[in-house]
Amino acid sequence: MSTPTSSHTGTAGEHRTDTQPPWEQPETPATWWSGRSGLVVPAVVAAFSTYLLIGALTMEIPEGTDFPGPTFYPLILTVAGYVLAALLVLHYLRTPEHPEELSARTWRTHSDWTAVLWSAGGFLAFALTLEVLGWILAAALLFWAVARGFGSRRPLFDISLALLVSSAIYLAFTVGLGLNLPSGILGGGF
Amino acid sequence: MDALNLLMDGFAGALTPMNLLWVVVGCLLGTAVGVLPGLGSSMAVALLLPMTFALDPTAAFILFAGVYFGGLFGDSTMAILMNTPGQGSAIASTFEGHKMAKDGRAPQALATAAIGAFIGGMVASVVVVFLAPRLADFSANFGPAEYFALALFAFVATSSVVSDSAVKGLASLVLGLGIATVGIDAISGSERFTYGSANLFDGISLVTVSVAVLALGEVLHVASRIRRNPAAHQMKVTGRPFLSRAELKEAAPAWARGTAIGLPFGVIPVGGAEVPTFMSYDLERRIDRRRPNPMFGKGAIRGLAAPEAAGNATTGTAMGALLALGLPVSATAAIMLAAFQQYGLQPGPLLFDRAPELVWALLASFFIAMVVLLVINLPFAQLWAKLLLIPSQYLYAGITVFCGLGIYATSGAVFDLLLLLGLGVLGFIMRRHGVPVAPLLIGMVLGPLAETSLRDGLLSSNGDYSIFVTGPIPLVLYGLLFIVLALTVRSKIVNRARRDV
Repeated sequence: MSTPTSSHTGTAGEHRTDTQPPWEQPETPATWWSGRSGLVVPAVVAAFSTYLLIGALTMEIPEGTDFPGPTFYPLILTVAGYVLAALLVLHYLRTPEHPEELSARTWRTHSDWTAVLWSAGGFLAFALTLEVLGWILAAALLFWAVARGFGSRRPLFDISLALLVSSAIYLAFTVGLGLNLPSGILGGGF
Repeated sequence: MDALNLLMDGFAGALTPMNLLWVVVGCLLGTAVGVLPGLGSSMAVALLLPMTFALDPTAAFILFAGVYFGGLFGDSTMAILMNTPGQGSAIASTFEGHKMAKDGRAPQALATAAIGAFIGGMVASVVVVFLAPRLADFSANFGPAEYFALALFAFVATSSVVSDSAVKGLASLVLGLGIATVGIDAISGSERFTYGSANLFDGISLVTVSVAVLALGEVLHVASRIRRNPAAHQMKVTGRPFLSRAELKEAAPAWARGTAIGLPFGVIPVGGAEVPTFMSYDLERRIDRRRPNPMFGKGAIRGLAAPEAAGNATTGTAMGALLALGLPVSATAAIMLAAFQQYGLQPGPLLFDRAPELVWALLASFFIAMVVLLVINLPFAQLWAKLLLIPSQYLYAGITVFCGLGIYATSGAVFDLLLLLGLGVLGFIMRRHGVPVAPLLIGMVLGPLAETSLRDGLLSSNGDYSIFVTGPIPLVLYGLLFIVLALTVRSKIVNRARRDV
């Protein structure tokens, strides 16, 4: 692992910024990127610092605000964020972190991205359709998507269970505790 | 004894049938969530936080107390049975505890842990009852310099002590501090980092952040591994918990020493119960080496008893620090603080004057929670392991649905659900790359305090920074901070050297 590191350090700066997401890891696990997908962490920290920096520079500050104004403290955080991001980049460049593989075989990526995408995608669909479809259908969709992501292969049983769970929650929380959950296209029932 | 009378009033408030029910429900829920692999007590509290808004404050906090301590019990149950500690404070229990379990002494190990946690928690609750009001009086005359020192202390301690890598801990902390600055600035009234979005005027809710990084982030993390490594989720349990007289005699001094080590750590915020559990484990190991027949490495009962007592003693006094100083020292305490704020209560010196009936009922419910937990854990510990029979795909699907329910029920906005998803992905990335999430939450909670005291101090001194190092209390705190850092560096070196466990 150490030889490719030294030969690539010159171009590492450009690589880091544009090919960040670890799910776009190269084909074989033995490339420069293996063990360095953690570079996404400094990328997030640096991106957030930039968000704070732009916000602080464009902020409308009322007239006559005394010295430690509203941007004083966020700018300290911005500087700290950039410094920490740089230190993390250095850390990953010098010592790639290889997670311990406990299962019998080796995988191309450490994380099972199909499962993560099913779960996260299910949540995105839930968030976007909740107010149209209503709680019962949207939450059932979410339940089903996560169960599928976790490896369940019984779609009919899962859908029935999902509808049962979401309806039970709807009844318990809207009727029992008085929370306001959207009824959506099934509206009018309660 | 003033404190005793107030505590009795507290018991009177807490012992109504309804509140008693909430303690039991809290203990059951906390243990149930703590027992599930990978789900710690902080996740239990985070998931329950939105649900409790339907309750009155006293009932809600009593429920929390049960969940909090129940989660700790559950964490150690899993640490012992499956070698999967729910959170950092249960790691020290895995070393000897899991060896006992493998040795066929799982029930004894569970009983040792339950009794140790009971002793530690009970002693800590007594200390809090007598100490917290004095601590509150003492801190009533804190100014910006003192609060800033205190906040800085909590930041550095949590992010450097808890994590393996100080840089990762600090990065997590800075993210939390930054998230807390979004919204209208309390001092000048300017809009900060909202980029014109009305959804961000009130800032990003701690409820959203904690459910996202603790619950949704964990679900995604488990999703990313479960199909590749399902073996980590299996274990069989048999037998009954039973300690012989000899075993009790063997464990008793370790329980006492663990409690003694754990108590002071909750009052001085050094980042949760992890440090004292390791310290007491280390102490027992040293003592054990001098005995004619060393037991460590073969399932030593003392190596389990001491960290359990220390962990719960710290947790108990940490609640005292939360109530008296408004200073959370763990992720769970940070969420409890958010719950207080949700009810318009600010923990700290004034809470004891403003809401005495709530504080004392909460303290009384600590005692009740301990007793309830001992009762449900001693005989039923193996029964809890049966929860593992829920197929994991439905378990995690259910948790995800509850994340969505909690956030939508409190905010009523799709925007917050999307924010939850984004932060959940952040929580997943942090877990995947070994970045601790506790500093993020503590940064979010204490960030505003740090910023306000920093700016107030500078405003009143006309920009003179020396105001932060004048006065005895800040100087003492900075001195303590230095000692903590030195001890951390030392213990990391020692840890590296003692791989023979």
